[in-house]
Amino acid sequence: MKKIVGILGILIFVVIATIVLSDGIFLRPFNLENLIRRTALFGIISIGVGFVIITGGIDLSIGSVICLIGCGLPWLLTVHGWPLPIALFAAVLISLLIGLIHGLLITKLKLQPFVVTLCGLLMYRGVTRGFTGDQTQGFGSEFKGIRSIATAEIPLPFVEGFGVPAPCVFLVVVAVVAGIFLNQTIYGRYLLALGRSEEAARYSGINTDRMVILAYVICSLLAGLGGVLFVMDVNSAQPVDFGNFYELYAIAAAVLGGCSLRGGHGTIVGIVIGTALMQVLRNMITLVDVIPTHIEFAVIGAVILGGVMADELVKLVASRRVASK
Amino acid sequence: MVAAQRELTLKVQGVSKRFPGVLALDDVSLTVGKGEIVAVLGENGAGKSTLMRILAGVQRADSGTVVMGGEEVQISTVEKALDHGIALIHQELNLADNLDVGANIFLGREPRRFGWLIDKEHIRREAVGYLERVGLDVDPNYLVGGLTIGRQQMVEIAKALSIDARVLIMDEPTSSLSQKEADQLFVVIKDLASKGVSIVYISHRLGEVEAMADRVVVLRDGKNAGELKRDDISHENMVKLMVGRDVSQFYPHEPHEAGEVVMSVKGLVTPAHPSQKIDFSLRQGEIVGISGLVGAGRTELLQTLFGVTPALAGEILVDSEVRKITSPIDAIDSGLALVPEDRKQQGLILDMPIRENMSLATLLRDQNKGFLNCSMERNISQKMVEDLNVKTPSDGQIVRLLSGGNQQKVVLGKWLALEPKVLLLDEPTRGIDIGAKAEIYGLMEALAKTGVAILFVSSELEEILGMSDRALVMHEGRLTGELQRSELSEEAVMRLATGQSMEAA
Amino acid sequence: MRFQNVLKSGLFLAGFGLLVSCGQSNNSQSGDEGTGEKKPRVAFVTNGVASFWTVAQTGAEKAAADLGVEVSVHMPSGGITEQKRILEDLVTRGVDGIAVSPIDPKNQTELVNQLSEHTKLITHDSDAPTSSRLVYVGMDNYKAGRMCGELVKEALPDGGKIMIFIGRLEQDNSRRRRQGVIDEILGRDYNPTNFDPPGAVLSGGGYEILGTLTDQFDQVKGKANAEDTLSRHPDISAMVGLFAYNPPLILEALEQAKKIGQVKVIAFDEDPASLQGIIDGSVHGTIVQNPYMYGYRSVQVLKEIIDGDLSSIPENKFIEYPAKYIRKDNVKEFWADLNEKLGEDSPASN
Repeated sequence: MKKIVGILGILIFVVIATIVLSDGIFLRPFNLENLIRRTALFGIISIGVGFVIITGGIDLSIGSVICLIGCGLPWLLTVHGWPLPIALFAAVLISLLIGLIHGLLITKLKLQPFVVTLCGLLMYRGVTRGFTGDQTQGFGSEFKGIRSIATAEIPLPFVEGFGVPAPCVFLVVVAVVAGIFLNQTIYGRYLLALGRSEEAARYSGINTDRMVILAYVICSLLAGLGGVLFVMDVNSAQPVDFGNFYELYAIAAAVLGGCSLRGGHGTIVGIVIGTALMQVLRNMITLVDVIPTHIEFAVIGAVILGGVMADELVKLVASRRVASK
Repeated sequence: MVAAQRELTLKVQGVSKRFPGVLALDDVSLTVGKGEIVAVLGENGAGKSTLMRILAGVQRADSGTVVMGGEEVQISTVEKALDHGIALIHQELNLADNLDVGANIFLGREPRRFGWLIDKEHIRREAVGYLERVGLDVDPNYLVGGLTIGRQQMVEIAKALSIDARVLIMDEPTSSLSQKEADQLFVVIKDLASKGVSIVYISHRLGEVEAMADRVVVLRDGKNAGELKRDDISHENMVKLMVGRDVSQFYPHEPHEAGEVVMSVKGLVTPAHPSQKIDFSLRQGEIVGISGLVGAGRTELLQTLFGVTPALAGEILVDSEVRKITSPIDAIDSGLALVPEDRKQQGLILDMPIRENMSLATLLRDQNKGFLNCSMERNISQKMVEDLNVKTPSDGQIVRLLSGGNQQKVVLGKWLALEPKVLLLDEPTRGIDIGAKAEIYGLMEALAKTGVAILFVSSELEEILGMSDRALVMHEGRLTGELQRSELSEEAVMRLATGQSMEAA
Repeated sequence: MRFQNVLKSGLFLAGFGLLVSCGQSNNSQSGDEGTGEKKPRVAFVTNGVASFWTVAQTGAEKAAADLGVEVSVHMPSGGITEQKRILEDLVTRGVDGIAVSPIDPKNQTELVNQLSEHTKLITHDSDAPTSSRLVYVGMDNYKAGRMCGELVKEALPDGGKIMIFIGRLEQDNSRRRRQGVIDEILGRDYNPTNFDPPGAVLSGGGYEILGTLTDQFDQVKGKANAEDTLSRHPDISAMVGLFAYNPPLILEALEQAKKIGQVKVIAFDEDPASLQGIIDGSVHGTIVQNPYMYGYRSVQVLKEIIDGDLSSIPENKFIEYPAKYIRKDNVKEFWADLNEKLGEDSPASN
């Protein structure tokens, strides 16, 4: 997979640079656990948006869905005392409905994905602030059991002092299923095909509307799952800013991982590596003295731009070589 | 008046243009006298459009000279062409719908006041003059979007006059006009010619050419194939020059034993022409051509049959069973396949490899509980590449890198893998070189032998005449007639295509 | 109440719709309009959305009810631009008085001056001392920071490594608060105009302050800051969380690192998790302000000003409600009082 070689190279470079510059602090088990957990949490939502980007669409509502679910779940559990299974079921149902509505509006009413999900971005956060009365939601000291799906660590045999953070299990499952879906099933092929040319796919007898809707449903479901895991991890969610801008982190990770916003391109492995790169960068900025923390976003932005530019340059050189043959 | 006595306005000599893989123009020459109407004829791909684009500065020639009024000129850009007085009126009009008539005429050359304010009064005054010259009675403040196509065309001509064009190139100007509008256009053209404007006229409608042209220049396969003077211009002479070879040898057609009726269409109403009902039927192993002028509703008919634009009314029966076809999925279920007109947009996913394009329609059938059946996919695509003689290093090649003919074979392969009962082909040989054309004709022939019913649309009369067992002719959304092979002739087709009835033939 | 809860759940499930009537209404106008003379209208504008401000809102509304004033409470969620918009809209609507907690007082001075030409304007919580505001109701954040610093020294009598966590440093009150902590720990003299850059390592008197990490109100980032600190400085002795949500995030990170109790946590403000931490012993203590009185007194003073009574405004234009220490000994009492003001049932606090 030559597509992910570039981004993998950047990741390895940044990791080595961080190890050197941080005197090895980077490699401490606790830090690695944290990094893996954050990569897992952001990776899940990035895979979701990856599906939508592959169809040539965009989902800007992810952060607000995270907010809606992340604040809504503790709100249902602690304020209304709903039983856990029913509250979780409600979270799944709502995420699914949101994706379905996005998909229907985009395919049947032919609204632009940017517009539909931008309105979603505004609405879901607004609705959340409404029903929570703008109050911080959290589990307090309750629900330790279920929260362990985000906070627990799974000990590894023969390895002392390091455990695999539980969200990593979710990421692995999501990534493996998504990878198989995208590469091994006919539906994955349909998504890649319609992302490149919706019309040709339709003329080939593919139900393109249904596939696009499916992509938005997957995206919102994974955003909802992300919302559940995020709130269980941090244990408090402020409706005003919980999940703010996370759609942009997710889109950035997907783009870093080789997804083209023009549609039709993208790999799950690439997206996960892209997410990991973003998280390592943020980690590096806190661990390393050389870079002042407040220029964090400048560094991340520059790396994304550099990665995308490098990618295009490689393609350009490759196509020149083909042309000159 | 004889051409030789005219003062020459335009003289093109030895123009060649090579595109990757194709020599589009090979040492072509063309002269146009002052006030002369020269018709340039040729099949699709003969090089007419390329020549016109070079004259209009859209493309640059590899070699050759252009002389305007005795002076050699370099036409490197559209602006340069306009400076030299050459204007191209394109088939698809080039007007801004949202601006008024006057603004369109002066678009990009707006007269100014104080250096930067548009002088609307000046525009208005001037525009009225130009509109008068083309006989168009509209207010310059009227929005172009509200005019009929015919009137918009007049605005285009007025625009050309406003830049003082000495040579006016018109590419298929009547293709989307009604007969009445076309007649008005001819009057204007003749009037302009009599005032000294030279006209280069490109058309497929031989009747028009016969009526109007002072001289006919025929191109074939990128070369000059010959010229006809006013007195020699006749249907027969023009076709002979255009085709230039024995038609029967090029088309491998043998009469087919038509079998059972596979598909019949009853009272079908397409969204493009909601006032017309279409009835016809197709038999096994039969090749049926659909002819007609541009805009006659042929492509729309195929798209309705294939469910892209579902029918408003009527029935489609396949194997005597009524099928409800509202999407390509339904059509494929019924045993139909469509090779669409726009190969690059609708037929192929250009950035995917040959194999994945070939399997796109068969994935569903060959799936293994939702999973891809990779070995079957590979087998089918390799077999198709071999059977159809697709020239490629491997079936992993990206389709974009193939030539037009090979791309078309991939589209065909995609559908043949599905083993359709009825194959719909929309302009199957458009933009394809001669060799690949012959291969595609051979393939149609071979398929018909295996019992597939083939319905194809073509704008090339010759193709219709050469390949059809039977031809359906359409005019403005209506099926104006049906011609058996024995009745097929260019005149008969053209008569039906222009809306005259069978009886008159 | 029951019915309203059912209604809320239903609306949550529907996921859409404008929830105008639900939750905490920001506009609490008294219902008896038109009965007597026109009540003075005042506005209470915060610098953001937080439970802290909900307490202040309770105070403001109580004062409004007690004094016959109409008050509207506004919590800008979009930072300084939204606060500006809200203030301008309020002046346009013609309120008689505004109490505002300016987000960036130094740069908002001009705005405050402009507004005070049209309405009676006071500041609360965070002051704009060089502006023409009539009075400031609140506490001295530098002083409160020094109090917090005392708690740090109390928790670490033998010195140690300390990291400070805060939402952002653009706000005057957060700068002063942080500076107070630093100056107190290092035993410097009282000087609110000091400013140490956030990345600098400062040491003195056996204490080493490793730096200050900001999160721009992103809680996930806030927690990551705490986690990364534990990675980088395994020998850290104390973590100081200066915005209400910081201490709970520090506790989460500590719990994951299994270092609860090993690293001292010093809090600011009264997040329930911080208070519970004090009860459990995982948090050494916290410094609390008196948001209820900020709200109550702001409305009261505005009413007096509108009535032309300036007698209660002191010479230095500063009505001070000093911060309080909360330690294990007084936490339960404080929490019970807080809940009473919020009108909530007391949560489990054993």
